[in-house]
Amino acid sequence: MPIRSPSHSKTALWLSFAFAASLVAHPASAGGISAGTLIENTATATYEDGGTSRTVTSNTVTVRVDELLDVTVTSLNSGPISAAPGELVLTYEVTNQGNGPEAFELVANPTIGGNEFEVTVESLAIDSNGNGVYDPGVDAILASPETTPDLAADETVTVFVIVTVPDTVADEEVSDVELTASAVTGNGAPGTIFAGQGEGGGDAIAGTTTASGVAVGTLVGRVTTLDLAKSVDLLDPFGGESAVPGTLATFTLTASVVGSGTIDDLTITDAIPDGTTYAAGSLLLDAAPLTDASGDDAGEASDTDGISVDLGTVSGGATHTITFDVTID
Amino acid sequence: MKTLNALVAAILAATLPMAPALAQDAAPAGGEDATVQLESDVMAIVTTTDEGGVTSTKLSEPTEFTPGTKLSFGMNYANNGTEPATNVTGTNPLNPAVRLAPDADPALMVSVDGGSTFGPLATLSVATETQGTRPATHADVTHVRWTIASIAPGETGRIAFPVIIR
Repeated sequence: MPIRSPSHSKTALWLSFAFAASLVAHPASAGGISAGTLIENTATATYEDGGTSRTVTSNTVTVRVDELLDVTVTSLNSGPISAAPGELVLTYEVTNQGNGPEAFELVANPTIGGNEFEVTVESLAIDSNGNGVYDPGVDAILASPETTPDLAADETVTVFVIVTVPDTVADEEVSDVELTASAVTGNGAPGTIFAGQGEGGGDAIAGTTTASGVAVGTLVGRVTTLDLAKSVDLLDPFGGESAVPGTLATFTLTASVVGSGTIDDLTITDAIPDGTTYAAGSLLLDAAPLTDASGDDAGEASDTDGISVDLGTVSGGATHTITFDVTID
Repeated sequence: MKTLNALVAAILAATLPMAPALAQDAAPAGGEDATVQLESDVMAIVTTTDEGGVTSTKLSEPTEFTPGTKLSFGMNYANNGTEPATNVTGTNPLNPAVRLAPDADPALMVSVDGGSTFGPLATLSVATETQGTRPATHADVTHVRWTIASIAPGETGRIAFPVIIR
């Protein structure tokens, strides 16, 4: 309802002042002019009445701008997040698209149809220090019911959803986690009115977003494993395959990385068996020779320390073969 | 009503079935001898489309004041005196929280400079930050002005223009 004012404004100067004041006090946001702003309208007229010039001023009609409830949620995860068993953090952004201050209740839902594995939501946190990264012990964990602080019109807050990925996750499995933010005042179809609950005492009205927003963050299982196989071939001094003193034993280590991810800092080591002696210069990586010395290439080998080959970062699907020879004492 | 200008005719055609008469016992504003009375109102402009695809516009008591809401700022006038009121010029400063709606009468006299100069919107321009000018838009309007050559004794009418809450 318009607020009807019976007073009759006397001068245009006063009106101009009032308008200027209301503009400064209630700047417009992306959601429109601020909720609670009073819009006043007054007209003046001059006319002649039998040759006398007269001025007349109307009453002032005042209406108060209602509060629009609008919110959007955006996933800030740049593409699917690699999910290995353990704790993981998804990042979302909640923006008050309305024209007044509002808090939003948050619900994280890990049980979406089509999920190939299901995470457990541990907690929701606000990016208290505003650095965009979840800092345990610094960023405030929200108590139930998880609710953002009051956000001013246009204000944005970053929300972290901390989940636990189950041990049963398999490589390449996909799972979505939804974050929903709903205006605390209420939500519903656009135009739904929450009488008297708007900023400044006006109505609050659900806007085009229905005063509720949702965004999806996606997890992809990245379970990468290493298969390591060892075999030995014997060549005795007589051309046979018996293990006798002087027999040359060739050990083959096959390292296979399985999965869609990568393994970092992969180093393969093996000891020289008791009763045998390392055959100097016999270390091979993928059939290419490595020196026995340390520091000049990926491998090193000695009778006392055994062999060591640094494979570094290895992608899923790659296989490396290491061989070395010993002689039986 | 024969002296009403094009603005009034256009507004009345699309608005209330009849402009409401003003209360006769209300004290006239603007001086003891003033015989013309003004009463402001705000109405909602509701556009509906029926099953046949015909759109119609009605004014109703506004219930919603959210950004983007279209309102009709109205001015009901009445001459309660015995002499005609002539050369009636009404000026309505536009609250900064609203902008003139694009479907306002193009002939409406408006100001984009705080009420210093008036003219139809198409004839006005505003300064740009780069020291040039650009054609004024509805959002630039700061004042609306209307003129009526004469209001006969006992005559009433309504003038209105559409605005949109920013």
